[in-house]
Amino acid sequence: MSPVSLARSRPGFGDAVFHRLGPALESLAALALAFLISGVVMLATGHDPVDAYGELVRRTLLRPSGLQEVIVRAIPLLIAGLAVLVAARAGLWNIGIDGQVLVGAMAAAVVGSWLDAGGRPVLWTFAIVAGVLAGAVWIAIPALLRTRWGINEIVTTIMFNYVAFSLTAWLVKGPFRDETLVAPQTPAIPPELRFGTLGDTRVHIGLVLALVLWLAVTVWLQRSVSGFELRAVGESPRAARHAMLPVAAILLTALLASGALAGMAGGNDVLSTKGTFQAEWNPEYGLSAFALVFLARRNVYALVPAALFLGALAYGADVMPRAADLPASFFTLFEGILLMVFAVLHWRPWARLKGERS
Amino acid sequence: MNVEAVLTALLAAAILSSTALLLAAVGEAISERAGLLNLGIEGVMLISSLAAFWLTLESGSTALGLLGGGAAGLLCGIVFGLLATIGRADQVVLGLGTTLAGGGGSAFLFREIYGSDQPLLAQGQGRPFQGLLDWLPVIGPAVADQRWFIYVAWLLVFGAQFVVARTTFGLRIRAAGESPFGLEAVGGSVIRMRVAAAAIAGTLSGLGGACVSVVELGFFSPGITAGAGFLAIALAMLGRLSPVRILFGTLAFGLLTGLDTGLQIAGVDVRPEFLAMLPYLGIVIALVAFGRGTRLPRALGKPYTGIAGSR
Repeated sequence: MSPVSLARSRPGFGDAVFHRLGPALESLAALALAFLISGVVMLATGHDPVDAYGELVRRTLLRPSGLQEVIVRAIPLLIAGLAVLVAARAGLWNIGIDGQVLVGAMAAAVVGSWLDAGGRPVLWTFAIVAGVLAGAVWIAIPALLRTRWGINEIVTTIMFNYVAFSLTAWLVKGPFRDETLVAPQTPAIPPELRFGTLGDTRVHIGLVLALVLWLAVTVWLQRSVSGFELRAVGESPRAARHAMLPVAAILLTALLASGALAGMAGGNDVLSTKGTFQAEWNPEYGLSAFALVFLARRNVYALVPAALFLGALAYGADVMPRAADLPASFFTLFEGILLMVFAVLHWRPWARLKGERS
Repeated sequence: MNVEAVLTALLAAAILSSTALLLAAVGEAISERAGLLNLGIEGVMLISSLAAFWLTLESGSTALGLLGGGAAGLLCGIVFGLLATIGRADQVVLGLGTTLAGGGGSAFLFREIYGSDQPLLAQGQGRPFQGLLDWLPVIGPAVADQRWFIYVAWLLVFGAQFVVARTTFGLRIRAAGESPFGLEAVGGSVIRMRVAAAAIAGTLSGLGGACVSVVELGFFSPGITAGAGFLAIALAMLGRLSPVRILFGTLAFGLLTGLDTGLQIAGVDVRPEFLAMLPYLGIVIALVAFGRGTRLPRALGKPYTGIAGSR
């Protein structure tokens, strides 16, 4: 090969910029499209989209208290998003996040309520470990069914969501109920033993927990051999098998880690904002976490800004019904439209030319 | 209350409550046969459920309302099919998005239309075969005394079975999921077959959603299908994508769901939450017992990228 053609084959500056910014630009384009479609829905139902979006931005970004609430809501979403991402990198779909969050929260609430004499570090450690273990145990059966017998994890993880909802409802109304209260809930962890706030804000220590987890998952997926193997299995299980990788063990690890993270998201809620497990409580982070991961284009670095955006939507769903007479369900619709746009955007006509998998 | 009356009521309730599930599961099965995994059934059911409820309330006709629900489902199905084929969407992501958008959209529209009102439907529904099978204990009245739409649903299921198993059209649908290149080689169009399957699946799930609000309950509320769309996916897989097997699966599921009422009447003291888990655990156990050898269509979930795009 002549030096000239070598020089030509080297990607130019424009290519590099496009390669780095391409996904980000696509995400922004998808966001714009989702805002546009939702705006049309608003117009059709007699809302003023400019007013509503303006109010949303004012409430979430332009007020310090709003921004803090956004961060608080982004914390569990970021952890749940990590759970989705870990499984997705291995080519698996953990749609059982909701159930794992519930059992994780239940375990953390129960263990936390036992340890209120031990001080904060003991209580936090054991409650979080309990949440992690519960989440991992909850995904263990679907995970084993997937790796041993090839039973599709999508269906089993969804079924386990319903089982988790009923199981935690039974536990909170039966064995772990605080008998002194009328409404069924577990004995509350005293406020002074919950996650403290950072400085004079409403943001709590869960933010540190979420960021540490994010860093750990980033290092695992991007910088470790085991993370590389995980991605190899996700990209092509057949090639991974030919490379003598222990595919079943890797899939199992990915699913258990995913369940553990989701359990931790539940534990975080109990230790920070909730302090207890209440009957009928179901935050349903699962599908939002999928919207989050696809907004971030499965990129672990983009997960943090994407979590903030979905945190803003979640906070919007709380305040906008009163602020702009826009029902909370509108934000669910918006997330759905966003996911649909991303599903289609997945198709990149130029991907084949670059030898990427579309 | 005597035992026979209780058993009859339980079986009748199981048949009624499993009809929506049956329609959606058969729809999902046809979609999967063509290679499209549709995780958006729940959203389609909710949107159609609201559409059918609205139309029934406005027109005063149950039949018109059900047709409207089917039409809404058809529309959703075509959109899903087009995005999944021509749009080359990732089917899982598209499906989850449809579920969110359908759930959120139906709740949003319901509040926009009715505010905090909770209107009820009061239309009577004919029971064409009432009393015909009274000579047969339990099963007779439970089967024959149903509302007319239940029989329409069964006809649709057997019709779907016939079309998928015995017609050229059905063969082509199966080919689109099993061997897309083979279908193209004999001059068929994978995209057209998949969109057609998605349209049929949408219509059936739409009718299922309509059945929940209009036939079964007589009202709409956000999230009224309570996960029936996801159950339908599980039951379709459990029935190995065969409509008749799915019929038995949904009936068994309906009976398990009614078990708590039955045990309460029988005076057995079991926590209701415990019994609420049973149907879902039942599905997982049944999947382990019968689903291990299930062979899904080879091209299921893979976007068709044409001969040139094949790997």
